[in-house]
Amino acid sequence: MYIHQHICISPQQTNGVVDLEAIHPSSAGKLLALEPKLGGVPPGMLRRMSKAVRMGIGAGLPLIKEVNVDGIIIGTANGGMEDCIQFLNQIIDYEEGLLTPANFVQSTPNAIAGQLSLITKNRAYNATHVHNGLAFENALIDAKMSLAEKPDTQYLVGGIDEISSYNYNIDQLAGWYDSTKSNEDLYTSTAPGTIAGEGAAMFVINNNAAAALGRIDAIEAFQSMDQEQVEARFKNFLSTYNTDINHTLFISGENGDSRFLPGYTSCELAIGSSIPVVRFKHLTGEYPTSSSFALWLACQALAEQSLPAHFYKNEHNLTQIDRVILYNQYQGLQHSFILVSR
Amino acid sequence: MSRIVVTGIGIITAIGETADENRDSLIHAKTGIGKARFFNSRYTGQLPFGEINQSTELLAEKLGIENNIATRTDLLALHAAKQAIIDANLSKEDLSGNDTALIGGSTVGGMCLTDEMYADANAAGISNSPYLTSYSNSANTSFLQRYFNVGGLVNTFNTACSSSANAIMYGARLLKNGLAKKVIAGGVDSLSKYTVNGFNALMILADEPCRPFDSERKGLNLGEGAAFLVLEREEDASGKRVYAEVRGYGNSNDAFHPSSTSVEGEGPYLSMKRALEVAGLSPEEINFVNAHGTATENNDETESAAMLRLFGTPPDFASTKSYTGHTLGAAGAIEAVYSIISLQHQEVYPSLHFTQAITATGLSPITTYKQKNLQHIMSNSFGFGGNCTSLIFSKM
Amino acid sequence: MEKEALKQQVKEQIVKFLNLNTVNPTDIKDDEPLFGEGLGLDSIDSIELIVMLSREYGINIQDPKEGRKILTNVNTMVDYIEQHRTK
Repeated sequence: MYIHQHICISPQQTNGVVDLEAIHPSSAGKLLALEPKLGGVPPGMLRRMSKAVRMGIGAGLPLIKEVNVDGIIIGTANGGMEDCIQFLNQIIDYEEGLLTPANFVQSTPNAIAGQLSLITKNRAYNATHVHNGLAFENALIDAKMSLAEKPDTQYLVGGIDEISSYNYNIDQLAGWYDSTKSNEDLYTSTAPGTIAGEGAAMFVINNNAAAALGRIDAIEAFQSMDQEQVEARFKNFLSTYNTDINHTLFISGENGDSRFLPGYTSCELAIGSSIPVVRFKHLTGEYPTSSSFALWLACQALAEQSLPAHFYKNEHNLTQIDRVILYNQYQGLQHSFILVSR
Repeated sequence: MSRIVVTGIGIITAIGETADENRDSLIHAKTGIGKARFFNSRYTGQLPFGEINQSTELLAEKLGIENNIATRTDLLALHAAKQAIIDANLSKEDLSGNDTALIGGSTVGGMCLTDEMYADANAAGISNSPYLTSYSNSANTSFLQRYFNVGGLVNTFNTACSSSANAIMYGARLLKNGLAKKVIAGGVDSLSKYTVNGFNALMILADEPCRPFDSERKGLNLGEGAAFLVLEREEDASGKRVYAEVRGYGNSNDAFHPSSTSVEGEGPYLSMKRALEVAGLSPEEINFVNAHGTATENNDETESAAMLRLFGTPPDFASTKSYTGHTLGAAGAIEAVYSIISLQHQEVYPSLHFTQAITATGLSPITTYKQKNLQHIMSNSFGFGGNCTSLIFSKM
Repeated sequence: MEKEALKQQVKEQIVKFLNLNTVNPTDIKDDEPLFGEGLGLDSIDSIELIVMLSREYGINIQDPKEGRKILTNVNTMVDYIEQHRTK
């Protein structure tokens, strides 16, 4: 399957004129996405949208306004978390009394896919995958199956998540975030925890090779707490798809959390110590569907045939990029490998 | 292309903790809707619920789970998934294989712990809460994955009330596309202050046992439960007991409103039509419809309109939500199990509390138990955000 | 409270409760339909406004259909508030 168009909303200048040289700094351990002005959204709908929905509409709507798609397939771990917590607060604050329902209706994660279909009157397949660090991967697998079932179709596939203050609080209590860390020295940290992020990346995907931005050759997604098993499966993935490592880039989901560095390193070494390694979470922060940003970055690398120096973990003499291997993991449990080529 | 078959079923609802117990209640028109004993809310005494008659502690104890690490949602999911896995005779090796997938569906997830989540969301500094990773709507699927050490793809759908119907559809497609050899698919939701207050705020909760498709219906009752199916390709299931075929599935978006269905039922019409297309069946070949039938003003009328459009004269239909209440994300899987046991025993179960048809549509559900030749059953699940899914199960 | 002042207050409350960020309260006409034509509110908004009447004026409306009549326009809301307010 082939990627034809994409839009990426992130904490960096990735939407519209792309500038990956200058990096916006994180603040208090968070990287907030830059929101575009939304066009074509009825004001009556706009007023109820959470940031997650606004980002989803902002990245998705321009892609499907003029092009008909045969399905809208979204990966989002939390959808409108902020709405969810606002409704939760109402329940407690008003002691389960008379409550306003708008937050409740908007809190369902499928509000993003639902609103995209509502605005464009798209009554085709509509799916919302919410399985945390595998939500976007499942959206891709869903699209892959849809294209096998009906080859002449195309799909909007996206990954979206927002930082909500309350969700941040819960994840910080659980030790996933460290608010003293910043994106300037993210990878030198030797402590657990990372910075939080958010964003939305959307893709139009079909079977046409002509003029494609990239081809997705393989996706593997699973859960495991056993690092040796992850490494074995990664090696198996490489041999199954017979991956040539010449002209190949490895995009790593390394996020500055000391607990997960060995896992990323072992996969780098599994490919070969000379593989050029690119990291991206100093641009995005950590969020469950950050692999959607990584896929966008892979397309960017294939199109430009280079990336700014700050992305690279190691010395490299890469002059040509023919394929990209992505490895991302979320909270030490969910792992995914994606192979993209031009 | 391979046929996809059901080789294991597991279920727990307000009308029973096994498929047999559920069937017995359905045959004898015994509803599970009534006064809640364990659910703690301002509305506990005021509204009827389809509550499972066991405390969370007892559920944990029976499953051998040490208390305070699993939510009620996790435990209900485990109860049903364990039954299905044992029923299909899946071994440890089967479960840990890279080609065994686990697909769940849930809307509430760990938010059944509404008060705890509120506390943790607002806590400063340190929290001793054991639930910090339990609140998400996918937490129960991860709980199952770790418990059973499932080795393949893991996923959770949250498309509101069609979540687990979509999980089953996705599972069947994974098998058809060769991306898995065994799939455990289903869904779960438990009673939660969150959803009770949400539906109450929308003013669609009835203060009496719900009356699906009745002209005087007053809204829905919330219920809780879980159901899981084990799905395999027919050629991989030789020698196994096969309950039914997953013959068709269809999904659409109504593209009308965030929380109500269009008058003409466009989304429901399309999901049913697409399921027929995948199944290669014509409308008159459907012998029975397990309707979404929530008993809200909006759903029952629009679902009826869609059935009239698709079928002309609709086949027998009923809503089992009059037994279980609306179990939200679990409803699709629970009603899949009901469709499967209907096929297995060639019988249909009555809709309860129906007296008079909706004037605009004139459709009446069946109100008495009967034995019936059944080849194909359609099961509908429609959710907020316009998401509509229909599944078709067929006798082997 | 004078009727005109109450009207203005209700308009401000409508805008605030429903997040009508693009609407200036003074632009809402007293007899402009709130639903369908006019402001273009929907069924969720009608419930939001019923909650507003409860929280701000102590008016409890049980039946959403009855609510819809009261919420026809600002005039009908203000008339009802004057007769039924408990705070």
